Amino acid sequence: MDEILDRALNAAQLAGASYADARLVESRSQFLEVKNRQVSALQESGTLGLGVRVLVDGAWGFAASADPSAAEAERCAALAARIARASAKFRLAPVTLSPLAPVVARWETPIEVDPFTVPLADKIALLVEATGLMEREAAVKVAQGNMQFWEDVKRFASTEGARIEQRIVNSGAGLTATAVGEDDLQVRSYPNSFGGQYESSGYELVRRLDLPGHAAETAAMAVALLTAPVCPAGVTTILLDGSQVSLQLHESCGHPTELDRALGHEANYAGTSFLTTDQLGRLRYGSDLVNIVTDATTPRGLGSFGFDDEGVPAQRADLVRKGRFSGYLTSRETAPMVGLASNGTMRAESWAHIPLVRMTNVNLEPGTWKLADLIADTADGIHMITNRSWSIDDKRYNFQFGTEVGYEIKNGKRGRLLKNCTYTGITPEFWNRCDAVCDASDWEIWGTPNCGKGQPSQTMRTAQGASSVRFRDVQVGVGARS
Amino acid sequence: MSARPVHRTPLEAARGLESPPLSAEEAQGVLRESLGMAEADHAEAILEAQDHSLTRFANNEIHQNVTARDHALTLRVIVGRRAGVATTHRLDSSALRQLADRALAIARLSPEDPDLPEPAPSVAVPPLEAFEPETAGSTPESRAEAVGSVLHAARKAGLNTAGALSTTSSLLAVANRRGLFVSQPETYSNFTCTVRSQNSSGWVDRHRRDVRALEVASLGRTAIEKAERSRDPQPVEPGRYTVILEPAAVAELVAFLASLGLGAQAELEGRSFMAGRMGQSITGERVTLTDDPFDPRAFGRPFDYEGTPRRRVVLVERGIARAVVHDRRTAKKTGVESTGHACAPPATEGPLPYSLVLSGGDKSLEELIASTERGILVTRFWYCRVVDPKKTVVTGMTRDGTFLIERGKLVRGLRNLRFNESVLEVLRRADGWGRELEPTVFDYAWNCVVAPALRVPEFQFTGVSPF
Repeated sequence: MDEILDRALNAAQLAGASYADARLVESRSQFLEVKNRQVSALQESGTLGLGVRVLVDGAWGFAASADPSAAEAERCAALAARIARASAKFRLAPVTLSPLAPVVARWETPIEVDPFTVPLADKIALLVEATGLMEREAAVKVAQGNMQFWEDVKRFASTEGARIEQRIVNSGAGLTATAVGEDDLQVRSYPNSFGGQYESSGYELVRRLDLPGHAAETAAMAVALLTAPVCPAGVTTILLDGSQVSLQLHESCGHPTELDRALGHEANYAGTSFLTTDQLGRLRYGSDLVNIVTDATTPRGLGSFGFDDEGVPAQRADLVRKGRFSGYLTSRETAPMVGLASNGTMRAESWAHIPLVRMTNVNLEPGTWKLADLIADTADGIHMITNRSWSIDDKRYNFQFGTEVGYEIKNGKRGRLLKNCTYTGITPEFWNRCDAVCDASDWEIWGTPNCGKGQPSQTMRTAQGASSVRFRDVQVGVGARS
Repeated sequence: MSARPVHRTPLEAARGLESPPLSAEEAQGVLRESLGMAEADHAEAILEAQDHSLTRFANNEIHQNVTARDHALTLRVIVGRRAGVATTHRLDSSALRQLADRALAIARLSPEDPDLPEPAPSVAVPPLEAFEPETAGSTPESRAEAVGSVLHAARKAGLNTAGALSTTSSLLAVANRRGLFVSQPETYSNFTCTVRSQNSSGWVDRHRRDVRALEVASLGRTAIEKAERSRDPQPVEPGRYTVILEPAAVAELVAFLASLGLGAQAELEGRSFMAGRMGQSITGERVTLTDDPFDPRAFGRPFDYEGTPRRRVVLVERGIARAVVHDRRTAKKTGVESTGHACAPPATEGPLPYSLVLSGGDKSLEELIASTERGILVTRFWYCRVVDPKKTVVTGMTRDGTFLIERGKLVRGLRNLRFNESVLEVLRRADGWGRELEPTVFDYAWNCVVAPALRVPEFQFTGVSPF
């Protein structure tokens, strides 16, 4: 493998590259889905390939191949150089990289149980049992359980002398009950929507989740939602559970603090950002209680790693400190444009893709409230739990989220179950209305396995850590006349 | 026979070899070898090979420029009533051996599946012209030069542009032990471009088999014009407005119907808005929605991922729910024939339409605008998500060119608006139908909607952005 990387880098330099890096990535994944006690998907996938990125005449070129031989490595390097030369004719200024001390290192996700060693029969049996328990509710038409496991073995080398090998293991599992009524459909998930919880963990995650132990409650809630009243429209106080705050962070803080977005690199597809560079250190993003960091070292975080795909060490940096916009997610190319050094957030979906600025783990630091005390302290509001729908504009200002479950809060007590809960707002106005954040006992690092960005589109696994949060004066119950 | 993975290299491809990344004969060789290794009752294999290149620009310069060659082989084996599926991206003989062993191991561990269909029988597939040598032969230099004309024009206009020009050349082949072998070479190209001023933006997006038909420079001028015209956008109050939706905005809404209920699995599970409503009116009388793989604009394929020939399926006819699409599993469950709409494994959503065509009318976009006393022109929607699946309620934002119409003319740009609307109700209320139909491909996996522009009264906007 080292020879292939060497051949790629040597060929790139011979072709005129001032800088080059090569990534040899071997990935495998396993996906299981059981619906109503029947296996509806059971698939394993493996891929091995090489991506070569070069800087020639101040411009980037990239070529990748699923046939990582030494000869193919040389061809990819030459092709990447040719592409870079074509790009260079249409550059206004040469690419400059922030300095980096090259390292030789190895890193592995700490796991207890390798998920690829657990017998398939055991995994299937667990999902069959859990979906069988959910099926006992007659109105549940689809009782679904799933597991997903990934392993990426990445070898990175650069012309600056870096040599890094990483083994990253991610696991995920969850349940979904879909109840169908006369003219309604309600979904309840455990422990989170869109497939459940995802972590940089091994099979110990699946054991910890205890899917069969939560199946009956999940199904019963889906059925209860069919007859629950619809979330009323108005302006009120909302409490969001940690998993919903996690997605709120992802969409309204993670994406707008990507420096490539702020600089316009994603203007045609993912969009730009209201957090423009002139606002750095000045804009009041949220209330004093809002402290948000990017932290690629968070234990169990789906966005955790040892080094990013430019060889920059994993690190923690402020994005929002005491409510003030304090930092960006950066890369070696973008950071110098605002006088900074990379904080190590460049990742590629696979060997076939270039690395982009991506969220690692974007975490809201815990506050001081116990959840029970926060509910007791709320005179009138809605407690919204587990995301069901999410939408935000291309500068990340105007958002609308929906949750699977809501509860009225009246005089400090949780009341009626509500369905079709939605809330909407403008990002900085919303975070400035945050007046309480729950403590570490309520905090969890929630994985998002499907973050999309880039052209060609790439999917990335990220995470956001959060506890429950209270927001005042929020518009709820947004929707269409039916 | 030994597998011959890929003879051509990315370097050769970039030099302009104007043929698919893999020939039908090469694909058949790989598939035969793979099927021969599976010690199972049945076996089915899918091979996809692809050369994809994309030249991306932002801030009036090329900032990313990539090419990748990949191939994926998926093997599904059946032992009794048990199935196992595995995928590899390596095509050498040892990888094929491992693939067969893994699929077989999975099959043996899987519980029996009472609904498991047999692989498709071998039948003739109608030919489809889907490969343009000019697209396959596109080079880094030709893409850069084409993009360069737009960069130059935007800079000259004092504007900022971002976008991408991409070309894809691919081959899909499916084979099974019942003697089926089908293959289809295809090309795809896309130019998408956003032009920004300090406080406005304009956008264009075009999808064609032939890269020459993108007319990149002309599209760039359109984006520039939209950005200029939408300068200094003003807010309007949320509420109900007559809207003119350009084809890309209509396509975005229609695409949701596919996932919300035009496949048989969603209907069988009771999740579909079509469930229990076949033969009934579900939307307006002007609405006819067809999945038509043979419409030359719709990037269709002549067969699906099970190798079944794809049929033209009328899903909604003059507002009446008529049909959903099937794969072999849902067809078996419901006692009908597959319509040829199987998705790639693991196909967790079941069969889906991929070449949707919404019938148009007789008005040009200009006529739709001219006939509107007061309304809003929407270039495109963004970040649309489902709010209520049974009622097909979707929320999303306008983006990159939203205009106020007064007395039949575009009078100024507007700040972007959030909507919450039922797609079926929007189509029911539409009272103006464009005659020009334009394809929108939502990714390069051939998920396409061909749609006209529409005029829709009483379209509900629920919020406004600060820009």
